[in-house]
Amino acid sequence: MRSFSDFDPIALTVYFFAAAGSAMFCMEPVNAVISLLGAVTLYVVRSRGGKLRTHLWSALLFIIMALVNPVITHNGKTVLFVFNDDPITLESLIFGLTSATVITAVLYWFMTFSQIMTSDRLLYVFGTLSPKLALVLSMTLRYVRLFRTRWRQTQQTQRALGLYKDDNIIDSIRGGLRVFSIMMTWSLESGITTADSMAARGYGVCRRTSFRRYRIRRADAALIAVSLALLAVICTGIALGALHTDFYPEFTLHSSGALTVLCHISCFVLAFLPSAFEAAEAIKWKYLQSRS
Amino acid sequence: MIVIRSKAARDVLRCVIPFLLIPAVVLLGAAVFSEKRHAFVSLAVAGLSVVLFLTGFERQKTGSRRLVIVSVMTALAVVGRFIPVLKPVAAVTIMTAIYLGGESGFLVGAMTALISNFYFGQGPWTPFQMLAWGLIGLFAGLLADPLRRNRVLLLVYGVVSGIFYSMTMDIWTVMWYGGGFDPQLYKSAIIAAIPHTTAYVVSNVVFLALMADPFGEKLDRLRVKYGV
Repeated sequence: MRSFSDFDPIALTVYFFAAAGSAMFCMEPVNAVISLLGAVTLYVVRSRGGKLRTHLWSALLFIIMALVNPVITHNGKTVLFVFNDDPITLESLIFGLTSATVITAVLYWFMTFSQIMTSDRLLYVFGTLSPKLALVLSMTLRYVRLFRTRWRQTQQTQRALGLYKDDNIIDSIRGGLRVFSIMMTWSLESGITTADSMAARGYGVCRRTSFRRYRIRRADAALIAVSLALLAVICTGIALGALHTDFYPEFTLHSSGALTVLCHISCFVLAFLPSAFEAAEAIKWKYLQSRS
Repeated sequence: MIVIRSKAARDVLRCVIPFLLIPAVVLLGAAVFSEKRHAFVSLAVAGLSVVLFLTGFERQKTGSRRLVIVSVMTALAVVGRFIPVLKPVAAVTIMTAIYLGGESGFLVGAMTALISNFYFGQGPWTPFQMLAWGLIGLFAGLLADPLRRNRVLLLVYGVVSGIFYSMTMDIWTVMWYGGGFDPQLYKSAIIAAIPHTTAYVVSNVVFLALMADPFGEKLDRLRVKYGV
């Protein structure tokens, strides 16, 4: 068994889109809460608690989003109180809370997703889609760093030549613009040389092969299959109305027995699958350590 | 391997996405989900159209020189996004599109959204940003000749694309929050986003005015010197 982030990036992408998608696709309070709990648990487990600031921001965002709806929408039959001559209704508040839960859940899913999908994993996923795109991606990532180096080199040269003054703000802006211009000309023209060099070595002559760190193993295929199957169950539930929720005029959950329960179970398994992997891995690690 | 490396598969994808997948998603969205589910449909459509465009890019015989220049410009836009308040992303995209064509512009816009979001946060909004900036580049490429000749028109295009970008992202905000499109919410979202819209418009105009001459010179020089 491997920890969750060691799965094949394609399998991870499929999983995250199933997990985030199942949260987004059904505006149903129970599923939303399950998904939010799963997403937060995974984030906390993976980043050992995570930054307090991140959680505070999410909480603030949650509160704002939950309160926007009752202020704007006045549908619903249970009036809680009247504010500025506008009725604030319970139904509208519940809708706001559900919306906020879904959005916060998706935010947490994506936070973990961008943590796991480092640039090499992303490059691999894109490389399978389009090698040329992967090349642009990797060159861009490299140029971002290169710009900084070249900026410094140009600035130092200019300073050594006595051309770069930063006594007053006008001079420093003009100097900065000149350095920027030099750096851009340099990068663009050396880029052409790079391209010519690539062409001279046979780039584009035949189909590119690329080094792959990852390959799809049985476990990866299983993860893809399980995520898609669980997503399919939830989608069936949505299509058959098992997860249908009426917010207005009165808040009602249209539970249709077994299918609704099945959907909630699927959502639970989907949401907590990676946390379970991480937990199992942590336990294994704890017991395999040799104690002298 | 689950790989779309073969040309045949990409060609199939190119036919399937616009004629089958997008209509199917739209119809399914209308039939299966109640009227409150437009956000997901539009997210799917946005994602699919970006994929569609990128498959087209792969098939075109794009020279490696152009590819490298696109990377340089994308990196510039990514770095530029770190400037507080004023964002030169759209300006860089427009300049690239004018001098290198609409496809390059689309690619710079879309890739900038994708890559810079690794620093600024990925999310379901990424395809929308990719699409919005990509389209700004694509249209600039279509209007390349008048935009290159007429400076006022270029600045007007900067203003329009700033508003276009902001309003596209507002559509996304509204649809995601409510699950459906609510004109009332959209109106308040636009009003709430006025500072952002102003920032986009101002930065587009400022950067286009600043960059048009030096960048035009540089890119023209590349064309003359190396024949790109």
